[in-house]
Amino acid sequence: MAKLVGPLRKELADSLSSCRVLVVGAGGIGCELLKNLVLTGFKNIEVIDLDTIDVSNLNRQFLFQKKHVGKSKAQVAKESVLRFCPSANITAYHDSIMNPDYNVEFFRNFQLVMNALDNRAARNHVNRMCLAADIPLIESGTAGYLGQVTVIKKGQTECYECQPKPTQKTFPGCTIRNTPSEPIHCIVWAKYLFNQLFGEEDADQEVSPDTADPEAAWNPADAAARATASNKDGDIKRVSTKEWARSTGYDPVKLFNKVQLFKDDIMYLLTMDKLWKKRKAPLPLDWTEIHHLESSQEEACGTGLKDQQVLGVQGYAQLFHHSVETLRSQLIEKGEGAELVWDKDDPPAMDFVTAAANLRMNVFSMNMKSRFDVKSMAGNIIPAIATTNAVIAGLIVLEALKTLNSEFDQCRTIFLNKQPNPRKKLLVPCALDPPNPSCYVCASKPEVTVKLNVHKTIVQALQDKRFKSGLETNNNKFLSDFGIRNGSRLQVDDFLQDYTLLVNLIHSEELEKDVEFEVVGDAPDKAPTPSVPEEGKNIANGNKDSAQPSTSSKAAAEDDDVLIVDSDEEPSSSTMEASPESSNRKRKHHGTDTDDAASKRKRLDQQPADDDEDIIALD
Amino acid sequence: MIDTIEKEENIISEEEAAQYDRQIRLWGLDAQKRLRGSRVLLVGLRGLGAEVAKNLILAGVKGLTLLDHEQVTEESRRAQFLIPVDADGQNQAQASLERAQLLNPMVEVKADTDAVGSKPDDFFFQFDAVCLTRCSKDLMVRVDQLCASRNIKVFCGDVFGYHGYMFSDLGQEHHYVEEKPKVVKGSNEANDGPEAKKPKVDPNETTMVKKTVSFCSFKAALEVDWTNEKAKNNLKRIPVDYFLLQVLLKFRTDKGRDPQPDSFAEDSQLLLQIRDDVLETMGLSSELLPNTFVSYCFSEMAPVCAVVGGVLGQELVKALSQRDAPHRNFFFFDGLKGSGVVDYFGSK
Repeated sequence: MAKLVGPLRKELADSLSSCRVLVVGAGGIGCELLKNLVLTGFKNIEVIDLDTIDVSNLNRQFLFQKKHVGKSKAQVAKESVLRFCPSANITAYHDSIMNPDYNVEFFRNFQLVMNALDNRAARNHVNRMCLAADIPLIESGTAGYLGQVTVIKKGQTECYECQPKPTQKTFPGCTIRNTPSEPIHCIVWAKYLFNQLFGEEDADQEVSPDTADPEAAWNPADAAARATASNKDGDIKRVSTKEWARSTGYDPVKLFNKVQLFKDDIMYLLTMDKLWKKRKAPLPLDWTEIHHLESSQEEACGTGLKDQQVLGVQGYAQLFHHSVETLRSQLIEKGEGAELVWDKDDPPAMDFVTAAANLRMNVFSMNMKSRFDVKSMAGNIIPAIATTNAVIAGLIVLEALKTLNSEFDQCRTIFLNKQPNPRKKLLVPCALDPPNPSCYVCASKPEVTVKLNVHKTIVQALQDKRFKSGLETNNNKFLSDFGIRNGSRLQVDDFLQDYTLLVNLIHSEELEKDVEFEVVGDAPDKAPTPSVPEEGKNIANGNKDSAQPSTSSKAAAEDDDVLIVDSDEEPSSSTMEASPESSNRKRKHHGTDTDDAASKRKRLDQQPADDDEDIIALD
Repeated sequence: MIDTIEKEENIISEEEAAQYDRQIRLWGLDAQKRLRGSRVLLVGLRGLGAEVAKNLILAGVKGLTLLDHEQVTEESRRAQFLIPVDADGQNQAQASLERAQLLNPMVEVKADTDAVGSKPDDFFFQFDAVCLTRCSKDLMVRVDQLCASRNIKVFCGDVFGYHGYMFSDLGQEHHYVEEKPKVVKGSNEANDGPEAKKPKVDPNETTMVKKTVSFCSFKAALEVDWTNEKAKNNLKRIPVDYFLLQVLLKFRTDKGRDPQPDSFAEDSQLLLQIRDDVLETMGLSSELLPNTFVSYCFSEMAPVCAVVGGVLGQELVKALSQRDAPHRNFFFFDGLKGSGVVDYFGSK
């Protein structure tokens, strides 16, 4: 019979005390995970988190108390854990995992990495680092009542990027600008308006009526004509919103009545009568008229929260007025050329969006929403509770035990549902999928061997024939001028296909006449074109990347279809994501001899960096 | 009880709103208020108990009483995260109190050092829900019978090595609400065309639907008759954990404790013996529960406590807030397979 140490067999218990693990994230899942790890017997743990503690974390991140608000999550988590397990060896980093200091060598220190993240960019990054270091990774996520855990092991299982993840939901410009039909459209519009007036102007965030709206034209030729016309003038009524606003001194009443807003622009929209043939037409608001209305629509809710009240039109007009004035002061204080960044936790910014969105909802005959609800949608807040995180963190450790024993055949993807499925399962384990052979992240790099004469072949030849070198100024030099010789390995990149190829060179002086080079053996297939990411009803992999409105438990609750989900909202400084990943964004290179290009990224923000360099690695 | 909560403190403070924001956005303000008015008794403060305590305190119940008559040992201290390292020899509930309270100062946390078996009937009547861990089968049956008649929600749960279970008895009539998407009615305005879109109705709007469900007693759940043909035919679909539970509860009754790693050899033998007896009494074959089970049911696995404690904690929250369909009436977790099933045993 096996010898037990507590509930575990002795060999397993022993390996736990010696292994080193990395926990990425010290939030909802992270706190629960750290606790489980030390109680299970893990001794050497490193934890990293760039965030500080907020009061809204306290309903679930139990290692933190009110007195810790503002402090580093990783640091406080470590201290709290040491209270009940002083013998644990914990290192805390108040830092971003995407910091170049945490290179492949850093990752190689660990036997296991566990993610407790809330955004896709970091997950992608850790995925690639773990593949590069060949360290198993346990990935997980939660949202509301739902959660998921899975194991990633290079060569044996799918990596995080083997399957395309749905990109965040975006709305067509004409829906935002001309024909909103849901509150979220109005909220997005209000955030755009904030940026146009106070923040960084963005051509993709237009708020004025879209005259080129294809639906607006009775005559298709007409639409085309308008489109050309507006492009020529840069849009017919084109005065930069901010310039105009500045010229009126950000007068709230003028803003309200005038361009972009609730009266003049709406009246303009009304002239595009085809739009309203099948839709309810918008009703313009006039500032003076509103104040003559009876103040009837206030719903006084004594037992509720202030934020959960839905005001009337007058209330929101007042709020609009007040917030514009406050934001104007903020702008002035910051000085010449200043810009504000929208932040859901900045009261006037949140007030502005609440007011503007609701006024627009009213114009378009929608039921108005409370500040509480608007904040959920505008701030991409994903509801979160302690118990879901507790369950998922428990499952992570159970998978970790199997992983450390290299029992990958026992590892599973496990989904936590809100209700049991028809087979009575609340927790649904599924076998792990093998790697996707076409995955551009984890599939082995395609290689080819080419025979040529390094003294006679110039760089240009490579470019013309099959490869692009990108080093335009060097095109007429011989390969040997660069020290390329027999046995050199070149890494070349074709931007258009987003494809990397490793070329092994064999120097030969015995090529046939007129033959510049010869491919030895098989040439690999071209890389598949990356498939267009689908917009789905599935929960996104990072609501920091998501424009999708999040509302309580209505987020995808389909049985067994839950994707990895996240638990935290967008950081204060991020603006609305507009563009999905473009398929020709250049990939990072994982050169054989260069540093991992991922480690070159300096920015700590959540946006994936564009790698503008194309690198050829030379021996 | 729960229905009288409406009269108590109906105002939620801004402080609570800020702290509970992320959960109010999930289960709503009404549910949060009901939680805020609830008093819970938690028996047993080992690994599973500590998890349930944490989950309930973070959720924001009105009061939580931690009841445990046992003393802290090195083993018990290592099993949970509320007991300080220098607390050996103290009472377990008492030792857990301070850290438990710090989890959420807005909850009234108390420690009671008595043995639950010694408590008079009316002790239980002050609570809206009772959660029993590490209790003998007879004790659980008694408390369940006592409480169910008074509409006090009863929960039982334990962790044995890699395995764990949760049982609930929410009474003959448990009322709750579910949030369902609102059905959008057809157009009824004369001036809109038949195909007119109705931007007024937010597609995300929902409505609350009232439901009622009934539960059987713990006694009935454990005393299912397996000798009839119908039961035998259904055996394949029954989680084996149900029978494992019967074996472990019998061990607990006979030995006055759970299987311990220190007496692994002796306890394993006894477990196999009990398995044979229990299954035979039920008219079932020993093969239903293969021998290997003995290696995986000793002590409490921390991650298994976390999973079972999470599900159990959430079931308590659901029952107290009367929102969302409760799991009926058992939840079994197998930490080796990672599977968690909900199944009903007892009179329908």
